Amino acid sequence: MKIRTIGRHTREGFKNLFRNGWMTFAAVSAVAVTLFILGGAMILSLNVQNISVNIESQLQVNAYVSSSYPQKHLSTLEASLRSLPGVRSVSFISKDQALKKMEKLLQSNADLLNGIGNPLPDEFVLQAKDPHQTAMIANEVRLTPGIDKVQYGQSVIGKLFTVTTAIRDAAVVFIIALLVMGIFLISNTIKITIFTRRREIEIMKLVGATDGFIRGPFFVEGTLMGLFGAVLPLAALYVLYRWLVQSVPLFPPFSLLPWASVLDKVVITLIACGVFIGIWGSVISMRKFLRV
Amino acid sequence: MIEMQDVWKEYANGVSALSAVSVSIKQGEFVYVVGPSGAGKSTFIKLMYREERPTRGSIFVGGFNIERLRERQIPVMRRHIGVVFQDYKLLQKMTVAENVAFALEVIEVSRRTIHKRVTEVLELVGLSEKAHMFPRQLSGGEQQRVGVARALVNKPSVIIADEPTGNLDPENSWSILKLFERVNDRGTTIVMATHNREIVNAAKKRVLAIEAGRIMRDQERGEYGYED
Ligand SMILES: Nc1ncnc2c1ncn2[C@@H]1O[C@H](COP(=O)(O)OP(=O)(O)OP(=O)(O)O)[C@@H](O)[C@H]1O
Ligand SMILES: [Mg+2]
Repeated sequence: MKIRTIGRHTREGFKNLFRNGWMTFAAVSAVAVTLFILGGAMILSLNVQNISVNIESQLQVNAYVSSSYPQKHLSTLEASLRSLPGVRSVSFISKDQALKKMEKLLQSNADLLNGIGNPLPDEFVLQAKDPHQTAMIANEVRLTPGIDKVQYGQSVIGKLFTVTTAIRDAAVVFIIALLVMGIFLISNTIKITIFTRRREIEIMKLVGATDGFIRGPFFVEGTLMGLFGAVLPLAALYVLYRWLVQSVPLFPPFSLLPWASVLDKVVITLIACGVFIGIWGSVISMRKFLRV
Repeated sequence: MIEMQDVWKEYANGVSALSAVSVSIKQGEFVYVVGPSGAGKSTFIKLMYREERPTRGSIFVGGFNIERLRERQIPVMRRHIGVVFQDYKLLQKMTVAENVAFALEVIEVSRRTIHKRVTEVLELVGLSEKAHMFPRQLSGGEQQRVGVARALVNKPSVIIADEPTGNLDPENSWSILKLFERVNDRGTTIVMATHNREIVNAAKKRVLAIEAGRIMRDQERGEYGYED
């Protein structure tokens, strides 16, 4: 194919977009609506994932040292906790630090603590490498000599994991269902577009055009429709998301990701899907009309 | 130029449209194909550029063995044959000039050449003024002249036309005919199926009469010869 022919296909592709006015509009809208929902679902699932990682990373095991444990061996105890499998970090909060924290918390009522000395124990705070192992680590810690009591929010953990995995699975299923639906919708729209052009394709073949030559402008047109169909929902999602981030008050760990950190994934996915759907829809679904 | 040897055509539904047709047409001839409705004229024409394929027999047009062509060669063959259709077959989304240019774009000539040739041909058919109008904005006669311009623009050595004046009034029919005669004077072969008695009788050209799928008459300086 000569360069001038590529130029010709590009010009024709652009012209066709306008000359097929409402057909183009229908196809672009179908792509845009599908990709809008897809992009929305992606942003939602990225955020759910982020929030669940936030929550999980805040899971910790509080291990209280028994009051009879000799102070000078605390570092040995810390080392043995640190060496437990699956432990990421261990930090120490002395009973004095704990008391200060408590006083700060009680503020004006701090005098309640007067005269009872310091009832608080020394405490180690452990974090698991994998949040799912928190319960297991807690059991190990409980068996360590010198540890009196262990807390890790047993009841919350189980529920949290069920909820986060359920949300993630649902998001995946939702996105796949959507893609299938979208492709069906778009292929039908484009088939109708092509069907109305059946006569044109026949004429072109009778005048001596090769299949490749006829496909050229369709290829350009499909690519352009896919691009428009991706750019529109991207713009809409951007505006909507920025508004959400600014106007919905949320507190950690429930925070929304900044647009910049969802940007690359969403932009790449939407544009790739758009262009793929556009080209696939235009070129593949016209094949059967080329047999003249 | 055009050779048909013992050609038979039976359509998929069992209708036998042509039987044992053998014809030879030389370069530069002007041939009218006449006959009653349903006789097989359109079938005869369509076989020549492979819109339909014969059940049996061989067909040669301008050096192409139509039946032995590979799929890839079909477009190449069609570029060497100018076809004019009764229903014009213009691309509705393209302007007059673009419709004509299309036949040149497929052979990838330069835009300069395309512009030059399209201007020439549109002048020849008298449509220079309407180059940028769309087919639906033209009269039937004008649309058919666009069809003729498109068939001519490649300078094919043969023009094949199926009732090119079938939808036109006498005046427009004559103007199409005049065009064909001018092209024929330059040595282009013309094969034209028609029901137009006045034209055939006035022209005194070779006449092929087809009836019920068979060639019943093949006459130099012939007459139309039917009372329809
Ligand atoms: N695609 C087709 N499928 C089946 N039969 C067909 C087809 N095209 C034509 N025929 C039949 O073949 C026969 C010849 O048809 P053809 O169109 O060649 O006639 P014609 O001489 O051009 O007639 P007219 O003068 O009315 O145009 C007719 O009986 C017609 O019904
Ligand atoms: Mg006919």
